[in-house]
Amino acid sequence: MVETATQIPASIDASTPEKVGLLRVLGPAHVWALGVGIVLVGEYMGWNFAVGKGGAYAALIACWFAGVLYTCVAMIDSEVTSTVAAAGGQYTQAKHIVGPLMAFNVGLYLVFAYTMLEAANAITVGFLIDTVAVMTGHDGLDQRPFIILAIMFLAWLNYRGVLATLSFSLVITAIAFSAIIILFLATAPFMGDSPLRHAELMTDLPYGWLGVLASMHFGLWYYLGIEGTTQAAEEVRSPARALPFGTLAGIITLLIAATLTWYVCVGLMPWEYLGQAGVPLFDAARLSGSTFLMVLLGIGTLFATLASANGCICDASRAWFAMGRDHYLPSWFGAVHPTYRTPYRSIIFLVPIALIFALGAPLDQVITFSILSGLLEYTFMPLNVILFRRKWPLETIKRGYEHPFHPIPAIVLLCLCGVAFFAVFLGYGTQLVAMVSFYVIVSLWFHFWRYRFVSRAAQFSMPWPRPAGY
Amino acid sequence: MDIWNFMEYAAWALSALFGLFIIIDWLRTDSTYSEEVLTSSREGELEALTEEHHI
Amino acid sequence: MARYIPPVQSKVGQIVDVIVLLVLAVGALYIPLWMGLAGSSKVPVPVDNPTWESLGQNPAMVEKWNQLGYADAASAAEVISARFDYSFSLGSLVLMIVVIVGYYAIMLRFSEKEFRDVISEKFGER
Repeated sequence: MVETATQIPASIDASTPEKVGLLRVLGPAHVWALGVGIVLVGEYMGWNFAVGKGGAYAALIACWFAGVLYTCVAMIDSEVTSTVAAAGGQYTQAKHIVGPLMAFNVGLYLVFAYTMLEAANAITVGFLIDTVAVMTGHDGLDQRPFIILAIMFLAWLNYRGVLATLSFSLVITAIAFSAIIILFLATAPFMGDSPLRHAELMTDLPYGWLGVLASMHFGLWYYLGIEGTTQAAEEVRSPARALPFGTLAGIITLLIAATLTWYVCVGLMPWEYLGQAGVPLFDAARLSGSTFLMVLLGIGTLFATLASANGCICDASRAWFAMGRDHYLPSWFGAVHPTYRTPYRSIIFLVPIALIFALGAPLDQVITFSILSGLLEYTFMPLNVILFRRKWPLETIKRGYEHPFHPIPAIVLLCLCGVAFFAVFLGYGTQLVAMVSFYVIVSLWFHFWRYRFVSRAAQFSMPWPRPAGY
Repeated sequence: MDIWNFMEYAAWALSALFGLFIIIDWLRTDSTYSEEVLTSSREGELEALTEEHHI
Repeated sequence: MARYIPPVQSKVGQIVDVIVLLVLAVGALYIPLWMGLAGSSKVPVPVDNPTWESLGQNPAMVEKWNQLGYADAASAAEVISARFDYSFSLGSLVLMIVVIVGYYAIMLRFSEKEFRDVISEKFGER
């Protein structure tokens, strides 16, 4: 594959115009790495705010309900994306199934969810390095160069090609995941002298059942971003098979990792501390009393944040690129690098945006911005799949994967999204309204101005029959 | 000046290096290839393209 | 339906469009921050002369607090007693529901209109 990647551009130069496109070089393992890599950082930081919101048991309930939510997301997404194999993922799905304006909004959800998550990861890298510096006796470290370096390095990696980028993600994600498993095995009661004290540390629900609802807000953080696997659709060798497989394997991995993380952390820390910790798994390793575990989980945290930021750059740039290619955004962004075969201008453009938010905004605000964009996207998915099945019933298009029990997953997903909206409302109602107002304004801007630059029929690129009822 | 001060400078320098690489390559690419070639990618056409190159 | 030929956008127009989007996006995040409306922080409940017992901590919890670097009850009191305020008014809840449902309704309506254009140009009029 690598040879092909370097051979093709040799035949392309300015005098003989030819087409350049993204390269199909990825396998199912890369899809898994892209999905899990983005999300796994959620077990290393962020999920524990759910503990602060409603107590330890509330976080577990939120973890499982969010798990159900994301299982629905993964099933629905797998079905639709196994037929819509193009960069842009949900954006391209929305364009073919719901309509252009919805697609524009979904594209922006994707770009903002991922770019904000990337910023949050970079902030965490800075925080982690600062923590290590303080532990070695150095106070007042300047975190900015490390935040910038994380973003610049990963942007460079993404710029240079998708295969190397996601192979890098695969390795560091696997290490970060193994670190969680090793921490669990090393502290589990069946291994003898265990430091876990569940019986003494667990308390009743401090806020009652309202706290359980509230913790759904950060419960999403256990899995946020798994749906990003579809962004790679145009670069996967056999999308109809690899995407459903990689996505569903990813969600199973995350369910395991999330439950283990919860189990170890609440057995080691009082919930009041855990609920506001910056790097909970690293703290858990410190409390286990083993230097080996502490180093391992420190490395795990660093790798998880890097893998996540890496996947985010990959996904956000694909979505931005796909919108540029269709002229939903200025067509300048629809360019592919002739040698590296990456959407290089989109990658470059999103770097300063990520830096603005990583250096200028507080972590919980950035996370909330990301979660809200994700939540709006998950609310779109059930509408999407219901319309998909209605406009193109099962017998009209061959699907690589058909999700079972339709429309139950769609309805469950819609209800859980409602709960999550309420949870966000409890803590961050103003942002919620500000955010939706933003999308209303850009929607009007798109409908009345920007859409004139989009050609109508050409954007419907899938070889599908005419939809039923049109 | 301890190791961490040194690390800070190293991080600044590396950031600048990666940034410089990206910008130089970007400008070189944009001036070498025509805009038509660069933006020639179309959704759904990739299948045909990859077939042609036997990937 | 006649085939729609979109105009070609000038370089300046492209740049202006990107700037508009950027201003809107940065505004959506930073305006709530500037107005001081953002987020919900915990409210610490001041406790006089806190002891581990008065904070409701059992020996196992105290041991963990000590390991985490909180040597006495006073240092941990703020973390332990802080609570979120989940009270809300019915009015703001209704407002939120109207905003979100309204948003999706507008979205689906406009999208549907544009989608019909796309389909009739792609597959021809019925």
